[in-house]
Amino acid sequence: MSTVERTRRRPRGGELAPYAILAIMIVALALVPVVTQYTVRTANVYDIFQNFASYGLVALALGITIIAGEFDLSVSSMYLLGGMVAVLTGAGSPMLGIAAALGAAVVVGVTQGGLIAGFRLNSMPVTLGGYLVVLGITYILGHNKSVLYDNYTVGLRLDEPVLQIFSIRSLVSLGIFVVATLVLRYLRVGRDLRAIGGDRRAARVAGVPVDRLLVGVFVVSALGAALPGALLSYSLATASPTNIGFDVLTFSATAALIGGVSLSGGKGGAVGIAAGVLSLSVLQEILAILRSPDYVSSLITGGLLVAVTIVWAPELSQWFRTTRIATSVEDERTPA
Amino acid sequence: MARVGIERRPFRVADAALALWIAMLAAVTVYGAATTTGFLTVSNMKAILTAASFVGIIAVGLTVIVLSGNLFSLALGQTAAISAMVFLYTLRLGLVAAILLTLLLGLTIGAVQGFVVGAWGANPIIVTIGAAGLMEGMAVWLSHGQSIVPPAGQTSWEHLANPVLGLPAPVYVFIVVTVILAVVMRRTRFGRQIYLLGENRTAARAAALPITLLTVGAFGIASLYTAGSGVLIGATSANASLLLVGSYTYDAIAAALVGGNAVTGGRGSIARTALGAIFIATISDMLLLRGYSTGGQILVRGIIVVVVVVLTNLRERSR
Repeated sequence: MSTVERTRRRPRGGELAPYAILAIMIVALALVPVVTQYTVRTANVYDIFQNFASYGLVALALGITIIAGEFDLSVSSMYLLGGMVAVLTGAGSPMLGIAAALGAAVVVGVTQGGLIAGFRLNSMPVTLGGYLVVLGITYILGHNKSVLYDNYTVGLRLDEPVLQIFSIRSLVSLGIFVVATLVLRYLRVGRDLRAIGGDRRAARVAGVPVDRLLVGVFVVSALGAALPGALLSYSLATASPTNIGFDVLTFSATAALIGGVSLSGGKGGAVGIAAGVLSLSVLQEILAILRSPDYVSSLITGGLLVAVTIVWAPELSQWFRTTRIATSVEDERTPA
Repeated sequence: MARVGIERRPFRVADAALALWIAMLAAVTVYGAATTTGFLTVSNMKAILTAASFVGIIAVGLTVIVLSGNLFSLALGQTAAISAMVFLYTLRLGLVAAILLTLLLGLTIGAVQGFVVGAWGANPIIVTIGAAGLMEGMAVWLSHGQSIVPPAGQTSWEHLANPVLGLPAPVYVFIVVTVILAVVMRRTRFGRQIYLLGENRTAARAAALPITLLTVGAFGIASLYTAGSGVLIGATSANASLLLVGSYTYDAIAAALVGGNAVTGGRGSIARTALGAIFIATISDMLLLRGYSTGGQILVRGIIVVVVVVLTNLRERSR
């Protein structure tokens, strides 16, 4: 009962929220010169898109797993493995390195997705194990230390400004976002994805190939982590197995949830996720301009993540409603 | 409950797989013990028990979250690290005050997360990832990025790390808090309601169980136990910073899963987790002695987690 009510009520405010947040962030960026003597330049916009290039696809991939009603904790180590494999195999040909990184991602994705779909397992513990396995492999491949990539020109080429504000790296990410938007909106697979996230049993009954889609979802999420990881490693000319904790995961989960992806599954789209990533990227740029220490960023991201999780919590509106009834404001309940 | 089920049920493939897995683990352990130089020594056994204690205290606390059907917490390592920092910092107020303050802080941190999860149905994994980020930010902010050392002239805390009757003090703490929690989970109404909540949330709601309060309790206990472990970790290393976060989160989760507790809640026990913690510590120690790299150790842990999750699920489903 209450779910029906909620799905009808949420979209009005909920669908616009990602863009409202992005607008607030852009206004905040515009106000930076008022507070400090700093003038915002095109270089700042370039930085924002570079940040988008580094994490946007992970947010998109994670967002797709959440839309399908699952979650992938292994993206943060898959990101590192992607970089490590690309640097180790791409010494001669960078494209070969990318291909190898994507190949590794397919193996990881098929394994995790196969286990989750085949045994009907909860994706959290499986991908937690997957996170450890992938991290362990990254350490072993790098012999427990950072590996340098000698082909510096590749990174320079990838990050060379295009039209002042873009680079090949950010254009690749933006291009994939456009494709994902079209696929999720107009192809059957997009609808099926939302169906298995919204009501899996009904989707199965309706003939949606649930298991195949689930494997696909985990392959996509591994690919979405490995590709930007590989590109970033080329850009930095180094790959590191260091456990950077859940930084990539925190950023991308926050971005996806700000972007209107619902944790209860079945809702969200690529444009919203892009808005979420851009919002966080603008925020990072503001913090960088203000020279805030690192902990401010981690406080804000952590706080935002908790806040959006609460906003998306399924029983939140119910809780408030019952509390309101308790304080005898019953007008709220009159049917519209 | 669980034991009756096992006796009455006919033999299934999943049981055979589980038995085979246990036999394999036992064989590997025995083989490793016999062939690893320096493994079967008294000092190494003490090292294993000490390592198992730090992780074990966190893991048995975490088990209450697992049993309540809220999966697990990804903020445990951070909670342990900031507890160690707070403990060493507040030592200037005296040992007892420092311990009580640290435990109170741990309980509060957990209770807040539990409230968000229990009252509003927020996703426990994401909430705890966010909480971990918040805690890391706070810790760096308040400590100015420096590691915390005990105040000069204070030595009372050293007792927490010193051996008593040949074994380090944390080992006794581990045993005592495990027994207490096992009794609470088996014998009290709170414990039984946690099992019911994890087994069937809808039924728990229908039976008007205080779901919010139970979830606050589950996260509160996990965080309280983690803070207790943090006190011991701080006392043992006499120097606390975020570097202590290390792999406590994953080791604790691995211990709870390897013990065979159902990830989806309702089935399992505190004792299983305690055994899981000792097993994980044994394997880590053996790999370390055999010269495995960090990567190898992480990899083995990950494989164990995945295999156990699959096997536990097969067994649960064949019920």
